[in-house]
Amino acid sequence: MVGLSEGEKRFIRGGIAQDLRTDGRQRLHYRPISVETGVIPQANGSARVRLGATDVIVSIKAELGKPHPLQPDKGKVAIFIDCSPTAAPMFEGRGGEELSTELSFALQRCLLGGRSGAGAGIDLSSLVIVEGKVCWDLYIDGLVVSSDGNLLDALAAAIKVALSNTGIPKVTVNLGASPNDQPDVDVSDEEFLQFDTSGVPVVVTLTKVSRHYIVDATSEEESQMSSAVSISVNRHGHICGLTKRGGAGLDPSVILDMISVAKHVGEQLMSLLDSEIAAAEASAEDQ
Amino acid sequence: MATNPSTYALSQSSDSKQRLQQRRRLFQETEWTRSDGRSFHQCRPAFLRTGAANAASGSAYAEFGATKVIVSVFGPRESKKAMMYSGTGRLNCNVSYTTFSTPVRGQGSDHKEYSSMLHKALEGAIILETFPKTTVDVFALVLESGGGDLPVIVTCASLALADAGIMMYDLVASVSVSCFGRNLVIDPTSEEEACQDGTLMITCMPARNEVTQLMLTGEWTTAKINEAMELCLDACSKLAEIMRSCLKEAASGSS
Repeated sequence: MVGLSEGEKRFIRGGIAQDLRTDGRQRLHYRPISVETGVIPQANGSARVRLGATDVIVSIKAELGKPHPLQPDKGKVAIFIDCSPTAAPMFEGRGGEELSTELSFALQRCLLGGRSGAGAGIDLSSLVIVEGKVCWDLYIDGLVVSSDGNLLDALAAAIKVALSNTGIPKVTVNLGASPNDQPDVDVSDEEFLQFDTSGVPVVVTLTKVSRHYIVDATSEEESQMSSAVSISVNRHGHICGLTKRGGAGLDPSVILDMISVAKHVGEQLMSLLDSEIAAAEASAEDQ
Repeated sequence: MATNPSTYALSQSSDSKQRLQQRRRLFQETEWTRSDGRSFHQCRPAFLRTGAANAASGSAYAEFGATKVIVSVFGPRESKKAMMYSGTGRLNCNVSYTTFSTPVRGQGSDHKEYSSMLHKALEGAIILETFPKTTVDVFALVLESGGGDLPVIVTCASLALADAGIMMYDLVASVSVSCFGRNLVIDPTSEEEACQDGTLMITCMPARNEVTQLMLTGEWTTAKINEAMELCLDACSKLAEIMRSCLKEAASGSS
């Protein structure tokens, strides 16, 4: 937890009320975002996203697996977030577990869509190789290297960037003689298929401090929050997921207002990320 | 349509429970009847009782169609020694499923996601300042999972807290809505949940008109969210009436 004096607390709250925050930002401004791709050579795709002093790494690994018997035409995606004690001493041992599971569930809700797959950022049916037999299991692992607030937005952005960087190996399938045989799958080392990431949403967290709400709160600002709503917005301006943190109740009209603000901010963040991804890819090709 | 939905009838009859038909339906069609004969904007009959477990400070049993949940509340009791000093009370929530709660025999283990959702839904409603240095434990057990489990757990838990005499700002009622194509279906059963396109769950304090927790999955337009929220909030306020009458009944019966 952040130790703040009474004066500092008032300073933060007063600044937010006057639309000038402690680091000079306005209420709806993000901190400078920096994006790096391909940071982990062993993974199929990876990205590092820095949002001010918040620093996260996401790696994506694809492994061959078997589809779930109830959903034979879909691949599987698992999201795990790890809060390392290198980021903060309170993450040591089981301390980070609660936050890790909360972040993992929130990201799963935002990225994987409804039960039927509608609104999913990742198209699970594109991961199937042989229906009912072989599919790709996508493991998305996030690591919090340094934490200064707004972890969910940073992780969601990193996942989006990492997915755009992910190459799924091309496979050739030799079906067995009888339909019950497990088919032979040949994984190519050279040819990779790019992943379609146009549907992956961005997450915008609006943190409510007294009567106003701000985006991209630092941990100092988060310590003053009454509640926070994370809204994931896709390219079409549709809402793909919504989660709330913090105990204080919200008026329903405030929530609807937050949704419209998040849609607006999400659009800007989406185009910013798109240009960052293009820049990161260009610099990776130069090397 | 959302202005006057017939969400809850203010009766506690549970006799209209019907056997769930196992037939699959094409939910994407614009017109279909629900397996238990309800209209799209009609909730399952709610049956609520307090005092389900004797050893607990307060407890409640809830039965919404096939979903059956029992919640016990213990405390406030002294926080564990390892805990740091806290001027406000602590809330500890745990949700678990029985091994026989689902058609396929489950693990019967704790449900971490629901536990944290239950905690977040209730913490805003409880006046934690009234029991410093102590902890209140809320244990929910799902006896039978028949869809809309989390809303039933939250509703039942808030009733159990009231039964235990824990100070709250208001009762917390919860209802979920499933989205199928263009249709909104309130209080889904598990077979409906298995093919839904998206879901919105709201837990709220109707008397204060405050949403304590909300969760949304799937792809939604703003207009759709608006409609679903109105539907949920209306159902929540009617559910809170049923909860209130259940508490009144228990209070008048014991005196």
